[in-house]
Amino acid sequence: MPDNPSGQPLIELKGVYRSFRQGRLRIPVLQDINLAVGENEIVCLVGESGCGKTTTGRIMVNLLEPSAGEVLFRGHPHSVLRGKERAEYRRALQIIHQDPFASLNPAHTVGQILSYPLKRHRMTKGRGGLRRRIWELLTLVDLTPPGDIVNKYPHQLSGGQRQRVSIARALTVEPKLIVADEAVSMVDVSIRVSLLKMLHSLRDRLGVAIVFITHDLALAKYFAWEGRIAVMYLGRLVEIGPTPEVIANPGHPYTRALISAIPEADPEVTRNKERMILRSEDIPSLTQVPPGCAFHPRCPFFVPGLCDAAVPPLEHASGFVQDVACFPLVQGLGLREHVAVKEPAVGP
Amino acid sequence: MSVPEQPIVLSLQDVSISYLAHRGRVQAVSQVSFDLHQRETLALIGESGCGKSTLNLGIIRLLPQTGRVDRGKILYTTREGQVMDVLGLSEREMRQFRWAECAMIFQAALNSLNPVIRVRDMVYDTAQAHGRRDRAGVRNRMLDLFRKVRLDPERVFNAYPHELSGGMRQRVLLALGVLLNPQVVILDEPTTAVDILTQRTILEVLKDLREAMGFSSIFISHDLSIAAEMADTVATMYAGEIVEIGPVNELFYRPRHAYTLGLLQAVPKLSAGAQELSSIPGSPPDLIEPPPGCKFHPRCPLATERCRREPPPLVEEVPGHRVACFESAQVLAHSGEPAEEPVI
Repeated sequence: MPDNPSGQPLIELKGVYRSFRQGRLRIPVLQDINLAVGENEIVCLVGESGCGKTTTGRIMVNLLEPSAGEVLFRGHPHSVLRGKERAEYRRALQIIHQDPFASLNPAHTVGQILSYPLKRHRMTKGRGGLRRRIWELLTLVDLTPPGDIVNKYPHQLSGGQRQRVSIARALTVEPKLIVADEAVSMVDVSIRVSLLKMLHSLRDRLGVAIVFITHDLALAKYFAWEGRIAVMYLGRLVEIGPTPEVIANPGHPYTRALISAIPEADPEVTRNKERMILRSEDIPSLTQVPPGCAFHPRCPFFVPGLCDAAVPPLEHASGFVQDVACFPLVQGLGLREHVAVKEPAVGP
Repeated sequence: MSVPEQPIVLSLQDVSISYLAHRGRVQAVSQVSFDLHQRETLALIGESGCGKSTLNLGIIRLLPQTGRVDRGKILYTTREGQVMDVLGLSEREMRQFRWAECAMIFQAALNSLNPVIRVRDMVYDTAQAHGRRDRAGVRNRMLDLFRKVRLDPERVFNAYPHELSGGMRQRVLLALGVLLNPQVVILDEPTTAVDILTQRTILEVLKDLREAMGFSSIFISHDLSIAAEMADTVATMYAGEIVEIGPVNELFYRPRHAYTLGLLQAVPKLSAGAQELSSIPGSPPDLIEPPPGCKFHPRCPLATERCRREPPPLVEEVPGHRVACFESAQVLAHSGEPAEEPVI
């Protein structure tokens, strides 16, 4: 295992591109992603479907190779790792999938599901050690008493319990990073919070970093309050920074649009929220990404000749803590004058 | 809008629905009663399996074969003021009732449109089945509705479903749903599985349509924030029962049922700062052998001996706000500061 020289991020994507082929088309799913995740950090990737957040997560855990660019693990390009180091690198990165019904083999018991990675990576000694470790893992994810769970099949468990099994499985190999891809979106609201709290406590106790992928900005805000939020749009990062800043003082017009569009579980707040009116309702196809800033055809702050001419880099904007990829904002042209605000809806 | 002064369009009285399963009868909906007034939007909130979709399928009598309405009345008042029990209608009358009087818009927009015919042919088929043979009139009305839901009317009218995006298809369904000018529109999770900006468009379009056409609606959603924004009245369902129903602000700011409070405390808000949330322990009960007393008691932190023994009746504690909870005063006392001190 390569040692971790101080200051090196746990995992870093450098200029990562990824495209998928569809017939004769090459669809650029990710473009120029630069993102570093530190040890024990929480980063939320948010964006609408098709923006590339899952692809980014999959590249992080090496389930996908980038088409161009580099993935560094503690400062070492992952492609040069071989043998034992490579195995450790693979072990350090785990993913929890969205659908707890599809990601567990229905023909195996919980005990079996947890024992395979433990055996494969020789994480325990002997039958007793294996059993002890499985008990320990189930306790860690609050599936107690473990004796009641270990011989059950996935269909005998509720959605929330299955997702806990998925998390326990990810923990078998003592990872350093867990990518949770919409890990709670299929779980009922009433038990969602307990799963999130458990992920939090695992981070505190085991020191793992968590990349949390979600389309739900309110959930991202709650989960990553002490971490960072990265907003993606059509394959690019458009804004990244500390969560409280991004939520309270969003920079990029797309982030602003998202925040203004979200309904809130508070009747007065949600009915009197300022709504941003977009120039177009439709999200462009990934096969025809608009030139320049991909958001410009929908953006109410669009400056012709500037926004459609070149791709704005992610950079610091004065008055903001976070980095934002928006020319008018960074150049201090101000977005205020153009703000189109809808009359607040009339309350009940 | 002062809803209760409007006349009642739909009145459910003591409706119970069950499904036949291998292990026995599943009581999916039990003794649900509520009135839906003209121009009112009622949101049904609750977790998956609480019976909200079953209830609505029961109203338009589209339950699967294993399901049946065991008891109760579903009284519908026509525009002419005639009151009829939907459960007593013949299959033929029922076909007229659906869509023309009460339309249902389903969750998955792609599955609700026939993929091999153009949108316009679906429109004509629907109109014809309901005796509207004036094609030009139907076409004009449809184009007008498409404009109202912010679609390019000509293009969409002549398109196949696959040529439209998910958000557009959902708007096509909304427009199609109100084509025959129904008095009641049932919306089953109309914005689930769509993106945030698309969801916003759909919500705005829905408000416009509601305003322009004046229909009443029943909104099914597991998302409390959508209920907060769209509803006049909110009903919380748990294990097939309405456990609390009242004006939207009452329910959100002064909940009186422990389950409603639990749900509210489990949902993160964007506008608040760092938040303390909590989830409800346990999972929903088995509906074949539900727990005795209040069905929520095994998960309720405020449950007493009485809750375990006796089912609480739905009582009107404040005008327009009914709740089925013996400990409602306790819940109310906790609901003042839901963000700071979670009780559940």
